[in-house]
Amino acid sequence: MTSTLKELRPVYVVGIGMHRYQFMSDTTYIDLGLAAVRAALADAKIEWPTVQSAYIGRALLPMACGRPILRHLGASGIPIVHVENASASGSTAFRHACIEIASGLNDVSLVLGVDKPMPIARAESLTGIGNLADDAIAPFTHFALLGDQYASRYGVKAEDFALVAVKNHRNGSKNPFAQHQKERTLDEILGGKRISGTLTSLQCTPVGEGAAAVIVASEDGVRALGIDAARAVRVTASVGRSQRVYDNATRYDAMLTEETTKLALAEAGRAPADLDIVELHDAFTVEEVEYVEAMGLCPDGRAIHELKEGAFDIGGRCAVSPSGGLIAMGHPIGPTGVGQIAEIVRQLRGEAGPRQQPNAKIGLAHMVGVGAVCYVHVLEA
Amino acid sequence: MTTGLLKPALYREAGSDADPAHPALLGGACGCGHVFFPMQNFGCERCGRTDLSPRALTGRGRLLASARVHLHAGKHRHAPFTVGSIALEDGPIVRTILVDDGVPFQAGDALTATLVDVHDADGNLRRDLRFQREA
Ligand SMILES: [Zn+2]
Repeated sequence: MTSTLKELRPVYVVGIGMHRYQFMSDTTYIDLGLAAVRAALADAKIEWPTVQSAYIGRALLPMACGRPILRHLGASGIPIVHVENASASGSTAFRHACIEIASGLNDVSLVLGVDKPMPIARAESLTGIGNLADDAIAPFTHFALLGDQYASRYGVKAEDFALVAVKNHRNGSKNPFAQHQKERTLDEILGGKRISGTLTSLQCTPVGEGAAAVIVASEDGVRALGIDAARAVRVTASVGRSQRVYDNATRYDAMLTEETTKLALAEAGRAPADLDIVELHDAFTVEEVEYVEAMGLCPDGRAIHELKEGAFDIGGRCAVSPSGGLIAMGHPIGPTGVGQIAEIVRQLRGEAGPRQQPNAKIGLAHMVGVGAVCYVHVLEA
Repeated sequence: MTTGLLKPALYREAGSDADPAHPALLGGACGCGHVFFPMQNFGCERCGRTDLSPRALTGRGRLLASARVHLHAGKHRHAPFTVGSIALEDGPIVRTILVDDGVPFQAGDALTATLVDVHDADGNLRRDLRFQREA
């Protein structure tokens, strides 16, 4: 017999910490990682030696980057696990820390996402199976093609997709941890450098570096360490999936998002309409349009209309990417999924300041990664 | 002497039985009914069987989507160029470069495979597969 996360011991996020996402700099990954972990420990008001295991999400940094960071907190001898799962590395690290707490193996775990831009090879290029297009179809062109397909399916215009970037840059301008913290007009976004199809540079996630950390704990851990239970946020669902063979083969990201989100909401016992905030993988504007429909936040073909009506704004029916999302907050890869959890926890505690979604009680975090994989978590105040 | 193909594992000059007029794409088929491109012998993505058979796919399809690429980092290719997602009439969806005839592409356009001259990484003349609007 198997169980869902919610049926096991309750898991709470009790501490969050960030190093701002930023353009590549001389800052070492040690500084990035330590800043996030120390902030998370301070937020939880616990000491490092009480942490019993560490999960490190990273996709670009070379192997074994965890201990060179964590030893500067005082080497406590705890197990350290490195997780690589493309863009979903941080989300996957979070899932496995939650599973460890839920199982009863430990009471307090750290999840750290950290990365710096580095040249890397994708395993898919080493299979020996040929490819007609080779490097002609970069990720931004994959999504430009999906944008064109969506536009011809529903008759939307190029500037309609750019509205996602207007919203997310506005949200990012209120987030001190975001890589882009500047509000942008529709004209500025449409007038930017043309990348591929209708995508302009401000509709694409920036390349960058950063770190995000969260501490997860059981009820026993919360009690034993005197953690403020009122600021603890429960994780009520965790689901990971990978791509199958779909009839609509090019829309695999959306199909995978649809099935993973459906499973996660069922696990939490919630419906899409219950969600107050969603942090999703909006590396490119068209993705947000595709995914809000795939998640059931609005009917198919209605995302642009709902976006124009403000349904996904902070203060709207469901705030989508109040952090600024990957487009404005950034996507340093390893940290991204952990940063989403930190944002949702901040929102559900009511501590998000100028970007607070009023009365936020339930949040959902979503990441896809090349491969393709998809991870979805539900958190509740 | 004819110019060699850039990727002879993926396509051939001769057409398929169903479409002799256009270069064939070298796909595969599984007993479960799954038709795929390109051919591989690792196992079927749908059912896991390993007794996969080569199948020459026709060089005909319909355009699902296209994009004009304005930015490209690789040194052997120069932007702008246009790429497309093409649903082959035999089932698989492929993505590659389109022959741009100056008229904007529309979803649903009928496309056919053709071989065009290109230079490989060493500067040698080769022929590579593209899709173009049906004449
Ligand atoms: Zn099969």
